[in-house]
Amino acid sequence: MKPEEMRYCSTGEVHLDFHGSTYVGLKYLLDHFGMEAVDEVLSSTAEKVYKSIYERLQRGDSSELICHWRYYLEREKCDFTLTENPDGTAVLELRECPALRQLAKENINDRPLICHATDKMNQVWCANSPFEIVVEHLEKGCRQTLRRK
Amino acid sequence: MIPSDHFVKFYSEVFKYLQKQGPEAIKEYYDTIAEHQKTHCLKQFEEKSLAGMKEYWDRIIIEENCDADALLTDKSYTFYMHGCPSLGKVLDNDAGVCDIYCDHCPGWVLPVMSASNHYCVYDLIGKDIPRCILKAFKNRCDAEVYLEKVKKRHPEHPELVKCNF
Repeated sequence: MKPEEMRYCSTGEVHLDFHGSTYVGLKYLLDHFGMEAVDEVLSSTAEKVYKSIYERLQRGDSSELICHWRYYLEREKCDFTLTENPDGTAVLELRECPALRQLAKENINDRPLICHATDKMNQVWCANSPFEIVVEHLEKGCRQTLRRK
Repeated sequence: MIPSDHFVKFYSEVFKYLQKQGPEAIKEYYDTIAEHQKTHCLKQFEEKSLAGMKEYWDRIIIEENCDADALLTDKSYTFYMHGCPSLGKVLDNDAGVCDIYCDHCPGWVLPVMSASNHYCVYDLIGKDIPRCILKAFKNRCDAEVYLEKVKKRHPEHPELVKCNF
């Protein structure tokens, strides 16, 4: 898939400080309403905001998710490698996560909550699809393996 | 990871959740962000009054790529948002926009205006239109006159008019 074929293809300046805003939103939900609230909002984000990625995955098409990974990680000037396979599987090696990098600049060190957001969205995207995403944590990032169940 | 480009779409989902919890939950959230925002601009508003507001929002216009301009007079500061980048991005969203999304702006601005002894009126124009007008006054009587004008613009939609007095 080409970036312009994705449902969202943002252009213009990138405001990395919005990672901090996302974290503040997640933390507020966690502190005031608990992890169920965090998961409810992340689930609706994965399923409804990213409806196109979600529905494609349900149909066995991972092309938009892979394109989304590459496009937005490049926009955020991330150090990563993305290896795609012909069967729709892929391995994303994120040597330095842009969200963790940005939050560290803001002296926010809450990796469990930040990584939980990724885990939860991956889980929602892949539920009832032929795919699963296995996440292994690395020192400053992670390796995400998109594979067939 | 939610890309920083997509924060506002996520934020709209946060507001949908808070809306389901009821008005108290929303108010508590606005109070929280207002307290945070006070650290950024309250001193500027207190010390430089309307000129401080222009200084603050002139910087925001650049930083957040807003299509906006402002007018400063002796009596008032008016911020004209012609193309809100935040609501603009939320509107381009398969999840649909939260109908209280725009409220988060007056939600933090009005308490900061009160804390700095100013009177402020928001005309949100339309919840699905990325435009709004913020007008702040030193004098309450001037603000009251303007508030009546704004109310007349939205006889069927009082929720589009917000003020701190």
